[in-house]
Amino acid sequence: MVHEIPIGLLYSTTGTYQAMGREALDGALLGLREVNNDPDIPFAFIPAIENPGASIENYRRMCEKMLREQNCKHVVGTITSISRKEVIPIIEKHDALLWYCCPYEGFECCDNVMYLGASPNQQIIPLFQYVIPKYGRRGYFVGSNYIWGWEQNRIGRELLHACGGETLGEKYLAFDDIDTEHLIAEIREKRPDFIFNNLVGTSSYAFYKAYARAGETDDFFTPSNCPIVSCNLIESELPMLGDKAGKGHISTASYFDTLKTQASLEFRKKVAAEFGTERNVSSDMVTGYSSIKILAAAILESGSDDVERIKRVLFDMFFDSPLGNIQFDARTNHVGLHPVIAEITVRRDFRILSYSEDQIIADPYLVDFDPVEFATSVDPKQKAASPLKMVK
Amino acid sequence: MKSIRIPNFRGWRILILHQMDDNIARLSRQLERLGIDVSVNWPVLETPVADAQMVFFDGDKTYEGIFPWPAGEAPVPLVALMGSEAPGRLEWVLQQGISAHMLKPIQSSGIFSTLFLAQSNFEMRRQMQHSIDLLSDRVSKRPFVLHATVEMMKRCNLEEEAAFSVLRSAAMNRQKTIEEFCASLDDDAITHLVRAFEKQKNSSAG
Repeated sequence: MVHEIPIGLLYSTTGTYQAMGREALDGALLGLREVNNDPDIPFAFIPAIENPGASIENYRRMCEKMLREQNCKHVVGTITSISRKEVIPIIEKHDALLWYCCPYEGFECCDNVMYLGASPNQQIIPLFQYVIPKYGRRGYFVGSNYIWGWEQNRIGRELLHACGGETLGEKYLAFDDIDTEHLIAEIREKRPDFIFNNLVGTSSYAFYKAYARAGETDDFFTPSNCPIVSCNLIESELPMLGDKAGKGHISTASYFDTLKTQASLEFRKKVAAEFGTERNVSSDMVTGYSSIKILAAAILESGSDDVERIKRVLFDMFFDSPLGNIQFDARTNHVGLHPVIAEITVRRDFRILSYSEDQIIADPYLVDFDPVEFATSVDPKQKAASPLKMVK
Repeated sequence: MKSIRIPNFRGWRILILHQMDDNIARLSRQLERLGIDVSVNWPVLETPVADAQMVFFDGDKTYEGIFPWPAGEAPVPLVALMGSEAPGRLEWVLQQGISAHMLKPIQSSGIFSTLFLAQSNFEMRRQMQHSIDLLSDRVSKRPFVLHATVEMMKRCNLEEEAAFSVLRSAAMNRQKTIEEFCASLDDDAITHLVRAFEKQKNSSAG
């Protein structure tokens, strides 16, 4: 009989951020089916799926159930930082492992979490290094009124400050607030070089649309003159921007589905076979999928799903994934990533502008961030090599 | 817009006065992740504190005389690692002038914010102490100001406000506080001030 290993999948597939939850869950389930159909793998993953419905009280209870009643040692899940922080004490109490798959604001490093999402040095820093030399160092910042928006903008402010630039304005909207005209009015008055957008969901879509409308009568509001740049826009959201509102604006992620690497093309084939050719692939789906594949490989290597034994082998393993060749760093429990920068096209997909061939090691506390090196890297007069910490 | 820099502890050295155990191993690992060099000492603080930016210590087992400085006069921020919350221990760690504390068992969360708060609290207290020292000094010299003002009023036939104003501008010209200046005045110096005042009055009148 095949050895069975229960795996908790804790994603909100209903509620405010259901789009991301569904992507990550679909990715994890795709990985799980692949593992279970692989004749060379002597075990099978049994999924224990719970949907907290974006309600914070459910996370703790459902995670406890997975660990206590369903004997899971590994949980893949949570999207927001609030829900991750809610389940961490339970994960620690049971000495289990949480596999976290979303980009986040950093400043955390828990021994019982494996982080596959991008830290600030894998998203904002490369984004600003691309944007500042091309468009300038005067930014206008918008964000949703919670920790993601606040911390992203705070790091952005710090980056502009480091290179002698400035933040011309910083405005926050409540969740689902779609009244963005006052932002447009202020931008019209302040004339920044670029807009750093950390709005989420409907607020963000409304902002792109209002920006495009302003561009019909004022040439200032064009992406070639003053682009909207963001770190959290995924493929499945592009249709919400309407036909043209997104065109030319810039975004970064650890993966875009137009990435032409071998592993990415193969992954898209699998997704097409599973969900149909119309289905977009987002970084959330890819990290969900990769977490399961990595866990399976580590169990195979160590011969057990025991957390301590997994951690003993994990940091020495390399993984060829749709995210590129990646490795976990024992110093931080975070995975190295290959940040991608892309612009939105009229076809409602992302055209790749830059892809980091080198793996960028996560630096969740920005310990290795050096303001002087950063300033040099964004100075168009300097031809210095990229200052990011890289490994071959 | 006021901007607080992202706290960065890279290159710091922290001394931990505590027996080596699982808690301290976890604490050291988290500190090292932040780019900090860690030395664990017990029961004697052997590593020179002059090389360190902060000291963590066992709030449960430390006792009078364990630190090479008088209670409350640590040269760097102190963080107490507390297992017991017994009132006697709380009182003792408070007397040491701690800038923050952490509860045992140590978890991977909370260390970054403890470093940040301990450093800020220590710095704030140092600045407040500096201000208090300056103000105490000024208060203790207040009688000299009173004496000099009365003398000027008498000898130059001035109202209190005018006499004070002469002293204040004389102090400002010498880049001293009015208290420092008045404390330095002897009888001759006051006579000199009176003459200078008379001379200036005559020249502006003439």
